[in-house]
Amino acid sequence: MKDDLKKLYSAIIKEHSATPFHFEKPGKVKNTIKAYNPICGDRFEVYIGSDERMVNALYFHGYGCAISKASTSILVKTLEGKSRKEALDLCDQFLRFINKELGSNEVMLSDDFLAFSGVHDFPERYDCVLLSWREMKKFLESGAVATKTLRN
Amino acid sequence: MTLALKSLKSFFPIGASNPKTIAFTKGATESINIVAHGYLKKNLKKGDNVLISAMEHHSNLIPWQQVCEETGATLEVIPVNEDGELVLKKLNTQLNHRTRLVAITHISNVLGTINPVEEVIAAAHKKNIPVLIDGAQSVGHYPIEIKKWDADFLVFSAHKMFGPLGTGVLYCKDEFAAQISPLNYGGGGIKNVELSNTVFLDYPHNLEAGTANIAGVIGLGAAIDFIQQLDMNETTRHTGELSTYFMEGLRSLGNGRRVGNPKNSGSIISFQIGSIHPHDVAGFLAGSNIAVRAGHHCAQPLLESMGVPATVRVSFSIYNTRDDVYKTIAGLVELKKFWS
Repeated sequence: MKDDLKKLYSAIIKEHSATPFHFEKPGKVKNTIKAYNPICGDRFEVYIGSDERMVNALYFHGYGCAISKASTSILVKTLEGKSRKEALDLCDQFLRFINKELGSNEVMLSDDFLAFSGVHDFPERYDCVLLSWREMKKFLESGAVATKTLRN
Repeated sequence: MTLALKSLKSFFPIGASNPKTIAFTKGATESINIVAHGYLKKNLKKGDNVLISAMEHHSNLIPWQQVCEETGATLEVIPVNEDGELVLKKLNTQLNHRTRLVAITHISNVLGTINPVEEVIAAAHKKNIPVLIDGAQSVGHYPIEIKKWDADFLVFSAHKMFGPLGTGVLYCKDEFAAQISPLNYGGGGIKNVELSNTVFLDYPHNLEAGTANIAGVIGLGAAIDFIQQLDMNETTRHTGELSTYFMEGLRSLGNGRRVGNPKNSGSIISFQIGSIHPHDVAGFLAGSNIAVRAGHHCAQPLLESMGVPATVRVSFSIYNTRDDVYKTIAGLVELKKFWS
């Protein structure tokens, strides 16, 4: 197995794709974002509980490759509990990091995010990594307010 | 262009002996769109129907769906069973006095199923219904017998038969040639132009508005010259043998599963490896320079009916060897180990 493939499928990515975080449809859903790639058919729904200030709760469900699933899992795990401003900043940094506009030393991102650096050898997989992040960024930028909580 | 046409003429020794039946297009997709919008639409009325199958590539589905939507006609569908074969027991009912055209693929681009096109054409012709055959997966790889089949339209793409991208063919019987109108207008394709009126050339030259894709057509001609040197029976024997060898290997993996199981199959095989996503399988194999395709293969309704969102697809050609198959299976063994 080639080194670039090993780097792409790092331990963090394998773990998140095997046991994704909050991978379920919560009972009380009023606001979702749909992340869909019509070229490959990957499709996730991210369920959002938020108010004007905070991203209170995040869950997701759907179908996608290991890369898109792990990246959505990390999105859910990382952005839950963040203020909308912090969440938007993380989305922005991550998108710019993957798109090589910022280097790893220029971003304040955890190892979970940096685990995706292996994708830089596979530009055809950028869409997999960014599938849910692009939609989440749009949601946060829109200022839309979702249900405050996803649980009674 | 003339040389390419000469190659095509001898390529279809009987059915296309008349060059007036062959138009060069951008590919099978454009060929189908020409038939849908340049021929069928003007004959289609509310209450009419078009019959396709549930295993069509989007290019042999959307054009018909759209003309039906525009005219108020209905799109009828021949179902596919769990093995990935056409269910033809209700064909005679599905073909009715309001059916204006049947459009089916010769070989499924997803499952490899070889459809009994001759049987479908015969049933349709009993009711005077014309039939279009999508030969994108078969021309250049399997014997095509236009005259025996009595197909009314045949479409195919150069890039699926060792030729260049963006080039293809629309073949139609003489009797339909005069009924095909162009989709594009411009320089070329005309006999005479006045400010108030244009007189067009006859088919196929009426489709030649704009600058012709000369390099593409010459490439297609060269591909056909090459294919003519092949013994088509030997070609299908070779690719069939590789498919059998691959299936033995797939079964030996334990968690390998072919999607569909058509009795009459070409050398196209869709499969899944456990719950590993097809893109992860394809990316892994690509690391060993093994090119397979992953995704819905532009046949979303078919995949939905087979209960899978995506598959990995291998397809074998004359240049593949048993060693290629062996390396593919070895790659899948390594993949399985990596994800275990």
